[in-house]
Amino acid sequence: MHFHARAAERVRNPVLQKALQKAKPLFVGKRAKGVASLADDGLDFELLRSTAESIRNRVLADLDVWLDIFETRARVSGAEVLWARDGDEVARLVVDIAQRYGVTKAAKSKSMLSEEAQLNEALAAAGIRPVETDLGEYIVQLAGEAPSHIIAPAVHKTIGEIEALFAEAHGRPEQPRTSADIPAMTQEARAVLRQHFLSAEMGISGANFLIAETGSAALVTNEGNGRMVTTLPRVHVVVTGIEKIVPTLEDFSTLMRLLPRSATGQTISNYVSLLTGTRREGDQDGPEKTVFILVDNGRANLLGSAWQDMLRCIRCGACMNHCPVYFSLGGHAYGWVYPGPMGSVLTPLYTGIENALDLPHASTGCNQCGVVCPVRIPLPKLMHGLRETQVERGLRPWRERFALRAWAWVARRPALYRWLTRGAVRYLRWLVDGSGRIRVFGMAPGWTDGRDLAAGSGKTFHELYAARKRA
Amino acid sequence: MSLPDNTAARDEILDRVRRGVARQDFEVRRAAAEAALTAPTRGPQPHMATDTAALRARFADKAAALASSVESVVRLAEAPAAVARYLESHGLSKQAVATAEVGALDWTLAGISVAVRAAVDADTVGISGCFCAVAETGTLLLCSGAETPATVSLLPETHIALVPVARLVATMEDAFALVRAELGDMPRALNFISGPSRTGDIEQTIVLGAHGPCRVHLILIGETS
Repeated sequence: MHFHARAAERVRNPVLQKALQKAKPLFVGKRAKGVASLADDGLDFELLRSTAESIRNRVLADLDVWLDIFETRARVSGAEVLWARDGDEVARLVVDIAQRYGVTKAAKSKSMLSEEAQLNEALAAAGIRPVETDLGEYIVQLAGEAPSHIIAPAVHKTIGEIEALFAEAHGRPEQPRTSADIPAMTQEARAVLRQHFLSAEMGISGANFLIAETGSAALVTNEGNGRMVTTLPRVHVVVTGIEKIVPTLEDFSTLMRLLPRSATGQTISNYVSLLTGTRREGDQDGPEKTVFILVDNGRANLLGSAWQDMLRCIRCGACMNHCPVYFSLGGHAYGWVYPGPMGSVLTPLYTGIENALDLPHASTGCNQCGVVCPVRIPLPKLMHGLRETQVERGLRPWRERFALRAWAWVARRPALYRWLTRGAVRYLRWLVDGSGRIRVFGMAPGWTDGRDLAAGSGKTFHELYAARKRA
Repeated sequence: MSLPDNTAARDEILDRVRRGVARQDFEVRRAAAEAALTAPTRGPQPHMATDTAALRARFADKAAALASSVESVVRLAEAPAAVARYLESHGLSKQAVATAEVGALDWTLAGISVAVRAAVDADTVGISGCFCAVAETGTLLLCSGAETPATVSLLPETHIALVPVARLVATMEDAFALVRAELGDMPRALNFISGPSRTGDIEQTIVLGAHGPCRVHLILIGETS
């Protein structure tokens, strides 16, 4: 199904619309409060953003060097480092490691990159049970769906839908639920997932950052599932992108003043873990084996290109949380792993520009995403750039190309242009009903399905201009 | 156990990265990067008072705002009685698992039975110290180690941490400076903990006690002024 069809379906889905309308003000309000709290400590958000931007740029400018340093130091600390060119290779490596260690169950903390690799499908096909342990991820896994938001995977689900999933998965009758039952439902999931943490032989996590200085993975979570899957199972596999490196612990500290605030408005997430190497001599807990899988899957191609800025992304989700298109459609409409403005840029770049023609157009150009991005990624500019590339490569549909060529032909003939626009505004004027508004736009009624079109005066700009000049 | 030979993927990815970076003199740049790592620079720092009283007040404020409960005692030896009062007032079990750093206190006198070991699923109360604590955000820093298993602050429903006022630092950067100065190498896990575990994944409603502890109680230890 293409984006247009998916989008049309989502706009007409009342359950989804209810979930989204509930979530948006919460996301926006919390982030605004979190960012405003910086001023209480005399911190300037814009200065922090610039600092974060330059940390990320510094890494990308010498990424070959930083990867080499990270790999060396991670190995010295006792971890293994593997590399994956694409998603299939990620899946092959994880399955291979699991089989070598006799793993039958893998407990996963949230990883969008594992979605790129369709890792759960690959594990299941190899007879290894993947269990998502982030509550939102667990819910979408029960539903057989993909996450619809990078930090709130089940934002599209209502409590009623979640109750139905829990009842079925946990083998109990369904009950009527209100928001007062959310703590009990969370407890129920906690009890089920606790047993998985204790019995899984392998933990799989992503990494919010890789620290070059120490060869560590940084993991930021609120639920504590990140700590569980990196502490209890015998084997810990970190699946993460090659662009996630930051040089020092100080750089990490700067980014941590921005990431939780931009994501959820928190001054800090509940658990921030830096994981280095494996269980040490005398340690009573921690994995015996830690393996990093550093993944390319399209990232290296962006280096040195017009899209390099996108690699600064720290996956906070602020761009989608402020996007009017995201909150009209939800994340699944975007069709691949990443939704919202960052997804509209990443999906065509990672999966092929010709495979995601609509996404760079899924933007009102309002630049809310550009304004909130903590690492100053010029998302609207990147989307415009992708649109230009589509035109340059002749990828736009013939009707659009024909229409634009026709318009250009007319626009170069002023007399004809004036005559045609005069006709057009008279037609618009004719569509106006008694309320002074256009309720149904005759030629393209879809435009007025959910809104009216304001009526013009019935005269063109040229006519008004000429009239005033005479006066 | 050995892992699959992966050098082909490594070489191909690094080759792509090198082409994208498009810069010469790898060894020169690598040496410069290594040098930069030995002299890390801090980003913009919060303006905050850093005398002990101010750190203490800020830590207590911020920790409480993140749903930890906070109390103070003057001497470390008073901590077991404070823990006992807390457990009683919340109707919690007086059987606890503890890290070795706090295990030597006289828990028996306070009526608490303490096992010094890593935590297991059945443990309901975990008692730990902390490596240091960050006043900026009201955050504990715990280091994993033979005497400080990470599970003690993770598996039990209630986590109680003893926080010497002398171990309060202003920022995360200060905490890292202390790690470098006192530990040298990184432990397997540095865990910054800010209150009880939480989730908002069902209809964006915040619930405490997702997978980690539902309650975090902090006992500040030191003179009040």
